[in-house]
Amino acid sequence: MGVVIGPRVIDAGASLLSVLIAPVAVAAGFPSPAQDYFDGRIDLNAHLIKDITSTFVVRVTGDSMEGAGISDGDELIVNRALEPKDGSVVIAVLDGELTIKRLRITPSGVVLQAENPKYPDIRVPALSELTVWGVATRCLHHV
Amino acid sequence: MPKPAVMRQMPQIAHVDVNCFYASAERAFDPSLEGRPLIVLSNNDGCAVTRSPEAKALGIKTGDPWFKLAPRAKEWGLVAKSSNYELYGDISARVMELLGRHSAWLEVYSIDEAFLGVKGDAEQLLDLGRRIKETVRRHVGVPVCVGIAPTKTLAKLCNKWAKNNPAFGGVCHWDSVSAAVRESLLARLSVEEIWGIAGRLTRRLNVLGIFTVLDLVNADPVVIRDKFSVVMMRTVLELRGTPCIPMEEERIGRDQLIFSRSFSTPVATVEGLRQVLSIYGQQASARLSKHGLQAKVLTAFAATSPFRHHEQAYPSVCVSLPMPTADPLLLTKAAHALLPQVRDGLQYAKAGLMLTDLRPTANQPPLEPFENRHEERGIGPLLEDVSRRFGRGSIGLGHAGIRTGLDWTMKRGMQSPRYTTHWDELPLVKAA
Repeated sequence: MGVVIGPRVIDAGASLLSVLIAPVAVAAGFPSPAQDYFDGRIDLNAHLIKDITSTFVVRVTGDSMEGAGISDGDELIVNRALEPKDGSVVIAVLDGELTIKRLRITPSGVVLQAENPKYPDIRVPALSELTVWGVATRCLHHV
Repeated sequence: MPKPAVMRQMPQIAHVDVNCFYASAERAFDPSLEGRPLIVLSNNDGCAVTRSPEAKALGIKTGDPWFKLAPRAKEWGLVAKSSNYELYGDISARVMELLGRHSAWLEVYSIDEAFLGVKGDAEQLLDLGRRIKETVRRHVGVPVCVGIAPTKTLAKLCNKWAKNNPAFGGVCHWDSVSAAVRESLLARLSVEEIWGIAGRLTRRLNVLGIFTVLDLVNADPVVIRDKFSVVMMRTVLELRGTPCIPMEEERIGRDQLIFSRSFSTPVATVEGLRQVLSIYGQQASARLSKHGLQAKVLTAFAATSPFRHHEQAYPSVCVSLPMPTADPLLLTKAAHALLPQVRDGLQYAKAGLMLTDLRPTANQPPLEPFENRHEERGIGPLLEDVSRRFGRGSIGLGHAGIRTGLDWTMKRGMQSPRYTTHWDELPLVKAA
């Protein structure tokens, strides 16, 4: 299995993936004295999760966000506590489904945009009428 | 019953619980369930254990067997879900951690409720209650109600009022409700609605002419003690505003075992907490065995001392056990999953374990004796190595090894994905 990001939830017996990596970029051929201070592994949870109580991982199905570099099958890190702003990539509730869109808040109204010309914009009468489930903060894109 | 003005600055108790917890946890990840009648079923899809308000409105009662409801589900638009304890355990851990940020004194009372020590004037307390409600909704996506009062019993009562009377907006503070309104609400509430008073006691109280909570408040505590017990007298005193129910440390309920202790001197090292959790793991195991139960999900938590001026922390972790178990070694190992969140130097004053997804021991074949023998031959590390390389569930001993076989004794035909604990069951978001 991959990175266990379910906050504080650990499958007994499974270990968190940690990445063993040198903490500094090293110029080729010149050993860095900083190497001596290497003292641990990068903990992805610590870097990717601001607040473990409000952070969830979701999986994308569909190609409507290709233009934002978010593809079918990618995982997103979503913070439910963040205030959605103009330009945020949000998980909105549309017809009872969790749907990913780019939120645009303009003087002429609120628009949910896809990042793929195949999909039309969705106009929302007011921000208050939109249920934003969470704001995506990172995309774990499969390369 | 009337509160002197000075009470307002005394520490008070906030009781916070999640509305229809299991149903709300399901809705947090599946918005299509919003507004629909929804029930969550007991182990083996036996009967309804949680009902959404819409399901209550259909007349469905807690304990109604599913086979009786199923034929009418379609006509009612009723959705039933098998219990998903890993999801509930994680949501619970998130809620408790958030509550810990709002008070230095937190007592996790059950999977979906907690008592918090709070201070302030009426305005500040109401404001705190609303902040708690809003924060939990925003962070975790589940609704809570808050009752604030001088005693635990009254705080629970206020929470009930907050839930049932929309006028309170989900937050009810005892001292902010006028005496006249309180009296009329108490007179409308029957005694069995009070925390700790069950059916048999209700009948005995009724014989004495005590039917409503107001009757009980006005009863003579000494008479109550002589006719019933000290416990019942405490309830009367609590209803009159005198705190006398202390922090509880061990409870076994219908579907959970909670085991927590405050330390006589704070523990300030990871090693110290490792020891504490090991002891609790063994004690919890003994409690489970005594009740003939095994658990599938374990939550471990710790808390720093609320009475000292230093950094506060409320780490908690929810662990899905590889199989239903009461094995002290497995429980201890699972409890140790809390340790990476524990920091040397903080003064921990309390730790605890909560075991959920309980089931009778008889359902489980005795795997442990075999496992021990295999351990000696070094098969354990080999299994772990294979699991690490090829994924959990790729290899294992007997039934315990196969992913779909884990719950072979348990019928859970309508379980939603374990959205927050399993990488292959993440919530799906539509990009269309």
